Amino acid sequence: MTGQADLLAQFSNALATRAEAARNAIVAIRVGHGRHITGMVWRSEIVVASEQSLPRKDDFEVVTADGPVLTARIAGRDPGTNIAILRLAGSVAPPPIAAGEAHTGAVALAIGADGMGGASARLGLVNLSGAEWHSRRGGLIDRRIVLDLRLARREEGGPVFDAAGACLGMSTFGPRGQVIAIPTATIERIVPLLLKDGRIARGWLGVALQAVAVPDALRETTDQSSGLMVMSVVEDGPAAQAGIVAGDIILSIDGKSTHRFWNIARQFGADSIGRKPDLRLIRSGRVITVQTTIAERPAA
Amino acid sequence: MSEAASKLAPSGRLRVAIYAMDPLRRAALSRVVAEAGHIVVGAQDIADVVLADGDCLPGETRPVVTLGGADYDLPGVLSRHADASQIDAAIRAVSAGLIVRVPDMMDAGFGAMRETHGHALLTPRELEVLATLAEGMTNKAIARRLNISLHTVKFHIESLFRKLGARTRTEAVAKAAERRRHETMTL
Repeated sequence: MTGQADLLAQFSNALATRAEAARNAIVAIRVGHGRHITGMVWRSEIVVASEQSLPRKDDFEVVTADGPVLTARIAGRDPGTNIAILRLAGSVAPPPIAAGEAHTGAVALAIGADGMGGASARLGLVNLSGAEWHSRRGGLIDRRIVLDLRLARREEGGPVFDAAGACLGMSTFGPRGQVIAIPTATIERIVPLLLKDGRIARGWLGVALQAVAVPDALRETTDQSSGLMVMSVVEDGPAAQAGIVAGDIILSIDGKSTHRFWNIARQFGADSIGRKPDLRLIRSGRVITVQTTIAERPAA
Repeated sequence: MSEAASKLAPSGRLRVAIYAMDPLRRAALSRVVAEAGHIVVGAQDIADVVLADGDCLPGETRPVVTLGGADYDLPGVLSRHADASQIDAAIRAVSAGLIVRVPDMMDAGFGAMRETHGHALLTPRELEVLATLAEGMTNKAIARRLNISLHTVKFHIESLFRKLGARTRTEAVAKAAERRRHETMTL
């Protein structure tokens, strides 16, 4: 009995020690009206935050460990992976960050900023650890990490640690209030690119697409059961300039079938800009080929 | 009827304080609130509800309905473009101690691109028929519009119901809109 109580006390003490130490790993980013969100100290002068929750402005005040307030400027944002970085007008002592791998069922400790230089903590499990995925905004996330814990809005953007103290990623909100983590591997991949260019360039045609079934009469000719119908075309965008109109059904792009979104999304990375793919499409019951030029996606 | 329920009743008049930086917005919101039968009171007066255009002042202790504010923890969160009936409904609900959210906001958050295989995709013709259903057209009118027989119209509508898992036209239109919202990809 005593032994069990000791284990529980040890577990609790270990968590409290971790939470205390994690104060150095976070900052509170003031977002106005007395509110803040959390940022993760990535390097001595670089803070990582959740892009979707960071107001669209250039300069912020951040509260660092134990209370000193520094100014910070946006150094880059990537809606595709939900990563934004801020450059501090000073430096802080960065904690060593070791990338950890999320395992379903493992303990997860999410740290948030309390706004006064301290940390708040959330304990839960890795609810699900899965394969890489593509976000609705076109970014590639290295692993799906769903967390079984609650998070306050002010805690979003903080680090999530495993039992060994390794960093699984940055906490953020998925659809319907679900708490997920952007994996450390994704942050490691994106931060250097953001530091260099301030953004992640993505290819763009200027169309909104929805999957449709290919009409029976054309199944044999096209050898495809589904395609992407053009629902709208951005005025003067690359697709509009190539004469693509709403109602066209795109079957393939440079020979790659549009049967799956992600198959297409991965062809529109930074290196796609300037390429001139052939679009095979159905228009008015006929299959035609149109050439377009991929441009860079304008900032949202 | 409880006090809370009486506030929900359409005849209940509530005291509403309006917080808006822009005088034009404030005037417009005052009009909406007054036309819904409520009493507009001064910003600092005793009020049942505060209607804030965007964010309200920190430390507000009265129940708040925000239009496009960033604080999702407030009892009432509507979009900036909420219409008069939504504003009225939200004011009544929040003053009665309920929480008001817009379905779109429940979907906010960093989500995955949805793959569309796994359910039956609609054909271009079915999408056309769906558009006419959304306009509330009769089968006869649809047949004329699309230049197809009445029989073919019925055939397409049955197929739409089956693919969308809908029992009525309204349900089919709603479910298709939901799909479109989740599955539209921009490239």
